[in-house]
Amino acid sequence: MAQIEESAGGKKKKGAQKKMTIRVDFTPMVDMNMLLITFFMLCTTMIKSQTLQIVLPTNEDVKKEQQSQAKQSEAITLILDTEYNGNKPAVDAETGKTVHNIYYYEGIADTTFTTPNFLRKEQFIGNMNHQAQGIRKILLSKNKQVMEEYAKLKDQWKNKEITKEEFDQLAKKNASDSLKTRPVVVIKPGPNTTYEGLINAIDEMNINQISRYSIELPNHTDTLLLRRYEQTSGEKVIHPLVRANAVAAAAPAAEASTSNQ
Amino acid sequence: MGKVKIKKKSTFIDMTAMSDVTVLLLTFFMLTSTFLQKEPTIVYTPSSVSEEKVPMNNLVTVLVSSADKSGKLDDATVTEGKLFISFTGDADSTLSSEKIRGMMLDEAVSIYNEQHKNNKIALTEAQKNQFRTTNMIGVPFAELPAVLSMSITERDKFLGDIANPKVGIPIDGNKNRDGRLNDFQVWLKAIYNVAQRINNEQAEGLSAEERSQLSNLYTALMRKGQGIAIKADKDTPFTTVQLVFDNLQTMKLNKFSLMTALKSENEPTQ
Repeated sequence: MAQIEESAGGKKKKGAQKKMTIRVDFTPMVDMNMLLITFFMLCTTMIKSQTLQIVLPTNEDVKKEQQSQAKQSEAITLILDTEYNGNKPAVDAETGKTVHNIYYYEGIADTTFTTPNFLRKEQFIGNMNHQAQGIRKILLSKNKQVMEEYAKLKDQWKNKEITKEEFDQLAKKNASDSLKTRPVVVIKPGPNTTYEGLINAIDEMNINQISRYSIELPNHTDTLLLRRYEQTSGEKVIHPLVRANAVAAAAPAAEASTSNQ
Repeated sequence: MGKVKIKKKSTFIDMTAMSDVTVLLLTFFMLTSTFLQKEPTIVYTPSSVSEEKVPMNNLVTVLVSSADKSGKLDDATVTEGKLFISFTGDADSTLSSEKIRGMMLDEAVSIYNEQHKNNKIALTEAQKNQFRTTNMIGVPFAELPAVLSMSITERDKFLGDIANPKVGIPIDGNKNRDGRLNDFQVWLKAIYNVAQRINNEQAEGLSAEERSQLSNLYTALMRKGQGIAIKADKDTPFTTVQLVFDNLQTMKLNKFSLMTALKSENEPTQ
C-alpha cells in the first residue's frame, strides 16, 4: 500500500539526514470511490417531475340558476378520443406518439344533426414549421386578443423590462381579463381516451392562455354527433369499446359543470 | 559484448490526482441527490409544458397503476387502476414523513373502524412503526395488519405483484351501497381531517414549530392544491383516472395536481 523508499543516492555524507519519499498507493481508494459514485448515480433522480394544477368543480348538485352560462359564440367543445390498435393505444409510425383525435364544434350542439361538417376533426400537433398547427391553431384564433397581449408581455419579459414574477402575474391577469373575448372550452374525454390525451388537452389550455375550461364526460348528444360524423365522413370514429368494464365503473360521474376559473 | 543493463522501472502510477477527481464527483452526487423512492410499479407520466416542480415536502402522492406492459398476463387490464398512496412530510423539520404517516394512519384507521363496526382492525405499535417507515402502500384496510406484519422484502414482493386482487386501495364506485366510504375515500377523509384539525390548531401536544409546519401542509393541501399529486401512466384510460378525480371531488378535495414530465415546446415565430 504505502511504501517508504530510501533515496538511492551515491555517497552518503555522514550525519546527513536520509531522504525519504513516501508514496501511498491510492488505487484502492479510487476503486472504492468509483463504486460509491456508481451507487449514487444509480440511486438518484436528477429530473424532477413537473406538476399540472387542476381545479375541478364540486360534484354536488348545482342548481341550474347557479351554473355559469357561457355565451354561444365563446363556447367550443372538444371531444377527445384515442385510437386503439388492438388492446394498446395506436402509435404513429413516424412520430412515435400515441394518436389522439379531437372532434370539436363551436357553440351549442346541433341537435337537428343536419348542419354539414358540424363536427370537425383535429389532432394535437403543436407547433410545426414555426406555426401553430392542429387544434392549437383553432384555439389560438379563438383566443386571439389574449394571446396578442400575452406575446407583448412575453417580449417585455425577454427584454428584461419586467421580472418573471411580474410576467406571471400579468399573464394570469391577462388570461382572465373579462374585457377581452375569451373562449370557454369544454373538454369531453371519450371512453377510449388515455390519460395522455387529457393532459395534452389541458396543456393546450395552458399554452393558449385559456382560463375558462371544464372537463366533462360526453353525453348522449355527443355520441350522436360522432355517429353523424361517421356517417358523413365515412371514417370510423367510435371504436368498439376496448375497456367496457372500466367505462361501466366510471359511469356515474360528475355532470355538474362550472367554468374553471 | 557489453551487457545492456535494463533499468528497472517502477510501474507505480500515482493515483492521487485520480482520487481527487473521484472524491469531487462523489461529493457532487451526494449533495445533489434525492433518492428514488421505492414504488411498487413503474409508470411513465405524460409530458406537459408546465414548469411547476413537484414539491419536495408535504406531499400526498396517489399512484395509479397502468395496464401490464410486460405481456406476461392474459388480461393486461387486471393490473390497471390499482391505487397506492404515499405521504411525504418535511425532511428539514420536526414534522417528518414518519410523523405525518403516523397521524394519517391513526386518523384513517379510526374512520375505518367507525364505518365498519363489525370488522374493526387493530394495529399493534410495531405494525404502526412499519407503516411509518414505508414509503408507498396500497392495500385494503382489511389487509393492512397482515401486510404490515410482513418483513420488508416480503412486503415489497407482495406489493409488486399488482395482479393480486389484494393489492391496491379499493375505489369501487363513488359510494358504497350502504352509504359507507370506500377505502380510498377513507384515506382522503383522513387527509382532509388531519389538515382541518391542524388549521383549527387543535393538534395538541405539538410545538409551535410543528404547528407552523402543519399549517404549511394545510395550505398546500387545501389552498393551492399542491399537496395532492396524481401520478398515472400516459396510457391509463381516462375512465380510470376519472374515477380517482370523482372520488377526490366527493371528498371536497377539488384542487390537486397531476404529475407530468417536462416537454419542451419550440416557439412559433409569428
